[in-house]
Amino acid sequence: MTARKSSSQTTLENQPSSSLPSSQLSRADRLQIFNQLYLARYFDIRLIKEKKRGRLRGTLYSSHNQEAILVGSLFGLKPTDWISPIHRDMPAFFLKDARSGLENPNRMGMSIEQVCCQVWGRVDSPGRARDNWSHIGSKEKHIIHSTSMLAGTIPVAAGVMLADRLNGGDAVCLTYNGEGSTAQGVFHEAVNFAAVRKLPVVTIIENNQWAYGTPVSLECPTEDVARRADGYGILGLVADGQDVFDVYDKVMMAVDHARSGLGPSIVECKTFRAYGHGDHDDDRANKYRPNQEVMEGRSRDPIAICRRKLAALGDLDGASETAYWAEGKSASEATNDDFPPEVVEYLERGIQFALNSAVPDGNEGEQWVFADSEVSR
Amino acid sequence: MSASQTLESPKKQYLNALRDAIDEELSLNPDLICLGEDIGLLGGAFGVTEGLQAKYGTDRVFDMPISEAAIIGTAVGAALNGKTVMAEMQFIDFISCGFDQIVNMLATYHYRTAGEVSMPIVVRGPAGAYGGGALYHSQMNEAWFCNAPGLKVVCPSTPADAKGLLTASLRDPNPVLFFEIKELYRKREIEEEIPSHHIVRLGEAAIRRFGSDITLVSYGQNVYHCLQAADELVKEGINAEVIDIRTLVPLDEDTIFASLEKTNRLIVVNEAPMTCGFAGEIIARVSEKAFHLLDAPPVRITRLDTPVPWAKPLELHVLPSVEKIVNLAKRLVAF
Repeated sequence: MTARKSSSQTTLENQPSSSLPSSQLSRADRLQIFNQLYLARYFDIRLIKEKKRGRLRGTLYSSHNQEAILVGSLFGLKPTDWISPIHRDMPAFFLKDARSGLENPNRMGMSIEQVCCQVWGRVDSPGRARDNWSHIGSKEKHIIHSTSMLAGTIPVAAGVMLADRLNGGDAVCLTYNGEGSTAQGVFHEAVNFAAVRKLPVVTIIENNQWAYGTPVSLECPTEDVARRADGYGILGLVADGQDVFDVYDKVMMAVDHARSGLGPSIVECKTFRAYGHGDHDDDRANKYRPNQEVMEGRSRDPIAICRRKLAALGDLDGASETAYWAEGKSASEATNDDFPPEVVEYLERGIQFALNSAVPDGNEGEQWVFADSEVSR
Repeated sequence: MSASQTLESPKKQYLNALRDAIDEELSLNPDLICLGEDIGLLGGAFGVTEGLQAKYGTDRVFDMPISEAAIIGTAVGAALNGKTVMAEMQFIDFISCGFDQIVNMLATYHYRTAGEVSMPIVVRGPAGAYGGGALYHSQMNEAWFCNAPGLKVVCPSTPADAKGLLTASLRDPNPVLFFEIKELYRKREIEEEIPSHHIVRLGEAAIRRFGSDITLVSYGQNVYHCLQAADELVKEGINAEVIDIRTLVPLDEDTIFASLEKTNRLIVVNEAPMTCGFAGEIIARVSEKAFHLLDAPPVRITRLDTPVPWAKPLELHVLPSVEKIVNLAKRLVAF
């Protein structure tokens, strides 16, 4: 995949690989990235298993096969940068600022306990289980709270960044969106405004080829969704969403571009939705999508691609190279033995915490409609 | 009339009172920013923000593209990151273009974050009919927002209230939808002196005229129709009490109930259409909570369930009028 050429865009073609941001990553960084792919995959697989056991209510929106987009885009951020994840980005909440240490309570990301409490609908969720699934956030941790309205947080991200610049900050904000949401009017309004004001908003498009039951060809008239950037005169890049290092490179270029005052961008990450829109749709998705397309889409597993790259770089010794093998396995096929034990233990802790957290009292349903007002400041 | 002319008079027009409120808050609250279409260079289509960009700079008062959803969304993001925001809708009719951002993003923010994030945002704009603005420059769409929990809804009818309610709104930690009556912006007859730093608490109605025979409840420019009707009714020996609710959400029910203790008769007047309009909400609450006070059916006078048409006879036909109020009041008192 290559970036598209235009007068306002950075081109990545012919760029020596030694100048790419990922060439600066250490072996330890790369192994951490590999581990984070496992974390994201295990989170997804484990929740599906829990749901099948009847221990969860609500719909799951799987990020299976799309983990490289989350891991690759988040890894290079500064802790104080902002993100705005949506429904298929659940692991982003605990992967944000994971480099500061997953167990570090002061890191600028959510703990796995908080995320599990949200999934299980417990009071220790950041939103006290008032809205479901990915509709959480944290002002303190710089995570914008999403709604179900697609592209609806892009103008919010623009506003957050506007305030940041007025306050003399240098943060950037990553907003995550499906390719389908680029057809929303608010997408245009927000990207246009961000472009006019050169706000540091990086709009990541997770192009997984399907907006629920509608193929991308019926949602967007161009081969690359990133070409929408041309209309705003902003940077538009295309990444291989299955290759965590390509995602890292393209997003870091967009982040540096934004942080240096050159404005917003669209980074399209090409991927494939491995299963249904939500878990309720898994069976139907096998009917409305051609089987061959599904098989091909699942064949480029981001964990396998990362493993091959690490092996080629000599990062993996013989034993660790093949010790765990989650790639290519569905939720029903994969077992705990396919994942590093620390990954399983991390999530297990989150789940046990959630199961011990209370469900909210019904009376909370009528609380917090309004903030307490005082006439005088 | 320009800003400099009005400064020579101690009396303030409704529009200047609004500008004074924003001006004072910009000077007091360094976190306040103002955004909207044409509010900077031009000073707003009606001039409410005239001179404020020159005074406070383009970081505090600035123009937005014609993108109401982005205006509201940007306000939400700025508030999430510590700002207080005044967002202008050029006409309140255009607020529908930002409807999703208001009802789903803004109104729910405090609720869905269990109080973590409050949204000190005022969305204000010119509203109301009787001026020949036709379908898309005449609306009173306040009821849409009263049906979205989390929003306060305000509609001043006097210059002092315009100042005092806008000041209170700009200091409220909740989102406030602020309906300004453009027909009152420069109305000389209602000019009045207003003390600086004047505040009117949200959720307190005002009794504009005391009476004992019937209660007329309204807000916005219909308050003046009620007052004129009350003058007419005196000739018939009927003393009408006129209540200006000023704030729809939260609603000061007590002032209405207290009035009904005396009058036992109620007419509610609003220029929005009848079905699911706010007049119906007031009547429902009175029926539920104060039915025992009523000696006659509570009734409403609203716009017919039509858009606001352009030609004057058409417009006046569908809107509430002094004549309609007088006629209905006489029938109710005789009930």
